[in-house]
Amino acid sequence: MATKDAPVTNPMIDPVTGEYRVIAPGHTFKSVTDKVSRIVLTTHTPLGWWFGFLVAGGFVCMLTTAVTWLFVKGVGIWAITIPVAWGFAIINFVWWIGIGHAGTLISAILLLFKQGWRNSINRFAEAMTIFAVMCAGMFPVLHLGRPWLGYWLFPYPNSMNYWPQFRSPLMWDVFAVSTYATISVVFWYMGMIPDLATMRDRAQSKFAQFMYGLVSLGWRGSVRHWVRYETASILLAGLATPLVLSVHSVISLDFAVAFMPGWHTTIFPPYFVAGAIYSGFAMVLTLAIPIRKFYHLEDLITIRHIDNCAKVMLATGMIVAYGYSSEVFMAWYSASHWEYFMMWNRMFGPMGWSYWTLITCNIALPQLMWVRKLRSNIGFMFLMSLIVNTGMWFERFVIVVTSLSRDFLPSSWGTYRATRWDYMTFAGTLGFFTFMFFLFIRFLPMIPMSELRLMLPGAKVREKAEPHSTGTPVPEAGD
Amino acid sequence: MSTNGGSVISDQQSGETAGTPERKLTLEEVRAKLAKQKGKRYWRSIDELANTPEFQEALEREFPQHASEWLDPVSRRGFLKVMGASLALAGLAGCTKQPDELIYPYVNAPEDLILGKPVYFASAFPFATGAVPVLIKSDAYRPIKVDGNPEHPYNQGGSDPITQATLLDMYDPDRAQHVRYRGETRSWVAFEAEFRAMLADKKASGGKGLYFLSSTVTSPTLARQWQEGQKNYPQAKFVQYDPANRDAHYVAAKQAFGDYVDAQYRLDQADVIVSLDADFLGGAQFPGFHRLAKDYASRRKLQGNTEMNRLYVVEAVTTATGFKAEHRLQVRPSQVAPFALDLAAAVGAGNGAVGYNWTSHQATYLQGLAADLKANAGKCVVIPGEYAAPEVHLAAFAMNQALGNVGKTVVYTDPVNPMPSIQMDDLKSLVADMNAGKVDWLVILNANPVYATPTDLDFVDALNHVGTIVQLSSHSDETSEVAHWHINNQHYLEKWSDARAYDGTVSVVQPMIAPLYDGHSEHEILQSLLDNPDVSPYEAVRTTWKGVVSGGSPAPQKAKGATAGAAAAAADADFAWRKVLHDGWLENTAYTPKNVTAKVTLPKAPAPAGNGIEVVFRPDLHTYDGRYANVGWLQEIPRPVTYLSWDNAVQMSYATLEKFGLAQNAAVKVSLGGKYIIGGALPVPGQADDVVVITLGQGRSTGRVAGGVGYNGYLIQQSGGPWMQPGAGVEKTGDIYDLCVPREDYIDQRSVSHGGDGSGTHSLEGNESLDRGIIRYASLTEYKSDPGFANQGVGHWTPGPNESMFPAYRYDKNAWGMSIDLNSCVGCNACIASCYAENNIAVVGRLQTKIGRILQWIRIDTYFEGDLAAPRAHFQPMTCHQCENAPCELVCPVGATVHSPEGINLMVYNRCVGTRFCSNNCPYKVRRFNFLLYSDWDTPSLKLMRNPDVSVRSRGVMEKCTYCVQRIEAVKIEADKDNRPICDGEIRTACQQACPTNAIVFGNINDKTSEVAKLKANARTYGVLADLNTRPRTTYLAEVINVNEDLAKELGEYRA
Repeated sequence: MATKDAPVTNPMIDPVTGEYRVIAPGHTFKSVTDKVSRIVLTTHTPLGWWFGFLVAGGFVCMLTTAVTWLFVKGVGIWAITIPVAWGFAIINFVWWIGIGHAGTLISAILLLFKQGWRNSINRFAEAMTIFAVMCAGMFPVLHLGRPWLGYWLFPYPNSMNYWPQFRSPLMWDVFAVSTYATISVVFWYMGMIPDLATMRDRAQSKFAQFMYGLVSLGWRGSVRHWVRYETASILLAGLATPLVLSVHSVISLDFAVAFMPGWHTTIFPPYFVAGAIYSGFAMVLTLAIPIRKFYHLEDLITIRHIDNCAKVMLATGMIVAYGYSSEVFMAWYSASHWEYFMMWNRMFGPMGWSYWTLITCNIALPQLMWVRKLRSNIGFMFLMSLIVNTGMWFERFVIVVTSLSRDFLPSSWGTYRATRWDYMTFAGTLGFFTFMFFLFIRFLPMIPMSELRLMLPGAKVREKAEPHSTGTPVPEAGD
Repeated sequence: MSTNGGSVISDQQSGETAGTPERKLTLEEVRAKLAKQKGKRYWRSIDELANTPEFQEALEREFPQHASEWLDPVSRRGFLKVMGASLALAGLAGCTKQPDELIYPYVNAPEDLILGKPVYFASAFPFATGAVPVLIKSDAYRPIKVDGNPEHPYNQGGSDPITQATLLDMYDPDRAQHVRYRGETRSWVAFEAEFRAMLADKKASGGKGLYFLSSTVTSPTLARQWQEGQKNYPQAKFVQYDPANRDAHYVAAKQAFGDYVDAQYRLDQADVIVSLDADFLGGAQFPGFHRLAKDYASRRKLQGNTEMNRLYVVEAVTTATGFKAEHRLQVRPSQVAPFALDLAAAVGAGNGAVGYNWTSHQATYLQGLAADLKANAGKCVVIPGEYAAPEVHLAAFAMNQALGNVGKTVVYTDPVNPMPSIQMDDLKSLVADMNAGKVDWLVILNANPVYATPTDLDFVDALNHVGTIVQLSSHSDETSEVAHWHINNQHYLEKWSDARAYDGTVSVVQPMIAPLYDGHSEHEILQSLLDNPDVSPYEAVRTTWKGVVSGGSPAPQKAKGATAGAAAAAADADFAWRKVLHDGWLENTAYTPKNVTAKVTLPKAPAPAGNGIEVVFRPDLHTYDGRYANVGWLQEIPRPVTYLSWDNAVQMSYATLEKFGLAQNAAVKVSLGGKYIIGGALPVPGQADDVVVITLGQGRSTGRVAGGVGYNGYLIQQSGGPWMQPGAGVEKTGDIYDLCVPREDYIDQRSVSHGGDGSGTHSLEGNESLDRGIIRYASLTEYKSDPGFANQGVGHWTPGPNESMFPAYRYDKNAWGMSIDLNSCVGCNACIASCYAENNIAVVGRLQTKIGRILQWIRIDTYFEGDLAAPRAHFQPMTCHQCENAPCELVCPVGATVHSPEGINLMVYNRCVGTRFCSNNCPYKVRRFNFLLYSDWDTPSLKLMRNPDVSVRSRGVMEKCTYCVQRIEAVKIEADKDNRPICDGEIRTACQQACPTNAIVFGNINDKTSEVAKLKANARTYGVLADLNTRPRTTYLAEVINVNEDLAKELGEYRA
């Protein structure tokens, strides 16, 4: 990672190893712990937090309103119709699930690959995953015609002699998403236990001590604890890793198994996974950039992190672009009228604008990230993260709506015009996500202190000084 | 049971007539009356008291129903709920009681009522253009389905959307429920007393000042009552007026034959059919539609022969008939008459050509048509349109005469209408009399003249000069608002009457249910004019047909003495009457052809009307002249060709639309004679340029369904030319009038790569439907040389049963299938209306229809091929194909849509959670979803109407065609009981039953002798999207058109 021409004066270059630092120099175990835990344990909640929290809370109220009206009236308040019987709900579902993927990738796959830099961002990326899955999980229930019967999708013994129909990809979804949600929550919570113990020890108020004590499950920071913690982390990472690939693959089958032109394509699983990671990393940046600014965490979440995220986005963006071009190629190469017409309709049909929005946001503009200067430009990267998220939302829009609007039988072609309830529900989940995130950064350590300490020179120096030491550096729990 | 009910009612009636009708109870009187009673007697008498009409009336005077609710603007659905409560009260009397007189079950006569076992009665729907003989399915004495009478020689089971929807018309919760005087509830007795007092007064003057204004009289009994009544009141006048009348025909007939005659066309004998602006395949508004459609289609079946008829249509308004034509010529409305006259001249029937300046295309068409007619003399027929000018009818008379068609393809008979008249002339003189103050009493029978009369007559103003206005109508309509007395009418399903069908056969209209709201019929009113005013309508009808019905009893009774002879004769008459009721019609009453010769001197054509915009008026195909505007089914089902629902539009051609700078849905102002209407502009394929089509029958101001829908075309209709007016002003208002067309229209400038020349307006759907093999057709010549044309070419193949990785289902016993003959389908929508009635399909309303949530299980897809200025259209009824490899079944997570052992793709409503994946994955898009709560769960009268064998769907579930699985199961149960296999044709789906052209055939495809199996073996059979390996059970018989090759070549039509 070292760069030849980098000036030695750059504080981000470790003069000892010549490596590009992940964390700004000058931090010690204590400073890191102080910095992170103070955000949570302060008695003085910043006004900005209150502002954001209340705005997000307003959106949650809007979501509640929209959902209440939905339950009262039925899904007809949305724009869905025949032939476009799936709309915003499914788009949002896929989009949110996709966003979640970055968290799992960061926490699991990068852990297995020993990408130390992930330590700064994995906690809130995982939180992002969980909140995104919560948002996503709402939609399959909300979009049901009879949501109160949503539990019929679970195989459970009952007196109705009723059993789900396992050939349906929607059934597979149920298992994919519920597994994913479970593993994500467990992984996130388990990873947080040492930090919760730190919070317990540092908390001033009785209530906080009690609460953090309760959730830290008696963590004392003993070596035995750490060993088990490490083992469990690796095991869970191993469990979560296939999920990164499988969940969105299964969700892509919701479309690929159906035989609508535009849905029925074998490239969907890989291209959905890549798209998920793409949008997930974009969301990580969307969250990280304002947070590091607001809480002055530039030392801990550095340009290096942003740069790495941008590179991942570039890579996954290229996979996604390959997916798009493969669809176009297959439309031509298959010589199938359905495929040909579907592609023509996507590009030049009445909803062609959505396709070109998608291409612009997901393929054209992200190419700017090849430029290092831009990658290290915080403002640009924030904008880019928003663009990619928009693009990925439109990708699902194109797949769901444009394909459905003109399928096999020309007499049944239709269109789709989202209603205010569609927008309210979508904006409401964005608000809910933000709301949960505000709660998270206020009450839980958003950066894993224990893991971050591993990246400090202190941890490494000790390793160098005692090459035969086998144990992991163990900072004291109450440090 | 009926005798008990009868005696009670007759007691009441005699009590009423005996007592002073003017007497009204006050609350004090009630108290006093009750105070006299003691103990048990007290309680008995409160019931008795409550049941007296006087008390009911007192109650209503005291508390007019829902007086408070009326003040608030209430939402439609909310209002229905309120009305529901009132209906519950109104229905206390027992809506499901049978009428008092004997009516006889049609086929299956259970010993007594067996709940769940329907009973069928024959009756007739008296429509203005002639009765439609019907067979009514009655469940627990509630009529729940109206279908054509399969044994009647006229329609042989066929029906039409209006006939089907009369069911909903009867259960319409908006129907007038009381006799009212100046808005206040009164009793019928009160009206009768006043009416009879007036009659007694006028007896001396012979009824001077008494006028009746009626919709077209269809009942011979009513005509007899009037004719007999007129003897007592010679000065009284009876005027008939329907906006959609037969004036043009009768004017011409009087001129040609010296008398009113009807023309009956025998299309089964015709090789060449020419329609001069006659929409004879469009629906019941054309006299004889059912017969004409059936006969027309019977010559297009191509079963075991290659003989076909050929249809030419020259029309001013785009119709389904026009699009069924082999050769269609669109002309301006003012050109229809000159064309008819020139055509007559060309076939040697005329007075010489009128010398019209035809375009070369038109001239070619005319010459080609004339040549074809001459070549088929005696085997052709010319049908003039009902709304065409009298000259067109004269020309048609002359041509049919000259070509030797009379007696072969056309016969002339006495008119079906028992009192034919030139209605517009009568109406004008009535208005003149009204304005002159000559009209003392105006009794309006089943008409709504305030709404439905030409604007220049200013009928409302004329009504100001009338003494007393009485209106008898089923709904409280525009006229009711100005009438003094409003009498709530009985629906034809509630009353005794009679009517003649197109062929002259007399049908008896029998009541199927006791009047829901104690209505009264026009027979009761007219009977008052007679010497015996209290004769019931039943007696009146029997009296009319006494001579016809009494004889010919098969009972071998020989008169032995005078008394015995009389008794036997009476018994004979009763027996014969029962047979009439059982059959639904009187034998040997069909008209015999009259031996008349048309003496026609064809006029020189009227001067063609400049280059201005011509306005054409047509009744709505579903709401007719507006009388069915409150029937939700008819409003909602998209009209043929225009696909317009819940609206009427200002229709014009694409070029005219462009000329005025309009776009679809732009509000446009059409002014005529100083009046104007504003409607939404709708381009219609194949419409002649510079013509604006105005549809009558919408823009009603009353009725929860009808009110506020569309514009009222009568506001610019002129009595001088009710169907066509030149010199209209068309203006763009700049507003948007969002028409309800539940279909997206994509207009395409066809590129060369698609085989076009890059110009002209094309329908993307139309071109795609041909590219995708959804529509496949050929000319007769092509068909003869290659009968299997439908299954050749790219995308036209069907994978075999074993080409899938998975084993195919096995169907050991029955395998239900359907075959739809696209050659026969005329796109009339009868199947859709029938499906609505059979399957309890909900009406979703205008907005929901517009955004694509209409719940119809069967629809008629229409594809326009070629330049939309003059396209060819293809109709394709589309319903669930019951795929053997059903894409929907695979994707349902809760197993709510499953495959039956007989190959039906079943929908388990209870299990459906509403993921809608099945609809997404359905290539035919025939699944319909209850996005909101569409079914009306509250209105009691609608509950009575529902088919008890079909679930009423709630919100959030998917629904779709089931091949009428309830009918299949019913027949299976019967067959099981008899331990026999199901016979072919025993199960008929609702759409099949309604189809007037027998285009739909259903049956067991495992039975190789069944009709459907034979049709599926036909070379023309193809499956839509069968190349997807869905293995659809519904297949189509490809269209074959009998092109006039020479003409096609000259016109450059049809791949020439």
